[in-house]
Amino acid sequence: MTSETTNRSTRAARPAGRVNEPRPALVESRFSGDPTHVNRQAIALVREEWRVVDRWWTEEPVSRRYFDVVLESGENAVVFHDDEHGRWFTQKA
Amino acid sequence: MIACLLIPGFPLRAALAARPRLALRPAALAPIEGEEPLIGAVTAAAEAAGVKPGMRLGEALATCPSLVLVEQDPARAEQAWEDVLRRLEDAGFAVEPGEPGCVYFETSGIERLYGGLERALQRALAAVGSAWDVRAGAAARRFAALAAASVARPGQILVVSDERANEFLAPLPLGLVPLEPSRQQELRELGVRKLGELAGLPGAAVAERLGPDGRRAWSLARGGGKRKPRGRRPPAEIVEALEFPEAIDNELTLRRALGALVDTLLGRPERAGRFARKLALTARLVGGGSWRRTVTLRDPTVEVRRLRAALGPKLAELPAPVVELGLELVELTESTGRQLELVPPEGADLVDRLQDGLRQVRAATGTGSVCTVVEVAPWSRIPEARALLVPRDE
Repeated sequence: MTSETTNRSTRAARPAGRVNEPRPALVESRFSGDPTHVNRQAIALVREEWRVVDRWWTEEPVSRRYFDVVLESGENAVVFHDDEHGRWFTQKA
Repeated sequence: MIACLLIPGFPLRAALAARPRLALRPAALAPIEGEEPLIGAVTAAAEAAGVKPGMRLGEALATCPSLVLVEQDPARAEQAWEDVLRRLEDAGFAVEPGEPGCVYFETSGIERLYGGLERALQRALAAVGSAWDVRAGAAARRFAALAAASVARPGQILVVSDERANEFLAPLPLGLVPLEPSRQQELRELGVRKLGELAGLPGAAVAERLGPDGRRAWSLARGGGKRKPRGRRPPAEIVEALEFPEAIDNELTLRRALGALVDTLLGRPERAGRFARKLALTARLVGGGSWRRTVTLRDPTVEVRRLRAALGPKLAELPAPVVELGLELVELTESTGRQLELVPPEGADLVDRLQDGLRQVRAATGTGSVCTVVEVAPWSRIPEARALLVPRDE
């Protein structure tokens, strides 16, 4: 006699991973919340700034302040401040 | 002889497996969302309180205010039913399943194996297990076997000989024949309440008054056909499932996930070049319920486009957001050879080389290392919610 599921050619549900997950970043900022340094490199220009407030009706609300910046080395970067957790992250927008 | 094993209220019993305490309390299967609010099977305690299967929800709650509604769990019921069928097959019975909770098999082949009809049926009851309150009936005709199982007590075996079949069926209630409630009511109003009374009417008159369904019911009341049950082909059951990081309810996202599942499922080596004849789409819903739809294809195929076209519309029937979507290859065709092409289509060489490369990467790094990006919500304001990485082993 076979057990319940031994002869089922089943594969357990595989979790789908996320693409473009935020990564923690080392950011220094002014009192106003504007970033001045990203990963110890000074910011030459803030090209754009925007807010994302979403999922406020769930247990995992999203409240972020994004900055699209150009560093002194000429490199582009997008960083955001997570208002929910009070931490900085970098992410491709 | 044809044997019938019956488990009344099987979907409710399967749904209660996770909450066995409810089996002793008044409980009923909740109506399916979006359909007429009629309750499904009920427990013995609910029946004692006056609640009947098929009652309107409001009426049932008014009759028994303490009635507990149990969410339908079709995926669990199907799995439990499949387990029952497999246990019977393991014991040597070539079963032909009817609706969940009802199965037929021919006894002539196994009577010798177990030393008689009674012993074979006892073996079948033991194979199903006493927890299901299964009952058995046997007769020369299929409907008589079903009727015998319907009136038997849990664990009881009722054998009806062909000579006494009509005598046995005559006093049984009309509700045993598959006839619409309105038609049954019509017959009751005409004074026909027992199978014997229906069988005693002229067939042509019944057909004229009640149409083909009535004629069929009349034929069943006289014992029905003698068609032997045919053993089923065990299902192939190649299953793939995808778990979402959060509950998903938009159809476009689900269609994309379905596309990824179809690709992965068709790539499974167990398929061995066979074509899909029947598939099942399953989902685990947010809040714990489940959902399942089966699709039988007119022409067996492994064409991704056709499979998506056949399965896609079913996603619109999902009653709630989904936390896991699954796809099963339930039935496959026999293995067939593949016709080689004289001139391969343009680009086939590149695809072959790419697949070879991916196979090498997989061999070197292990399963789960090759993934497909599935865009699920490109409009989302949250960048990481726009696409998912779905493992792809083949």
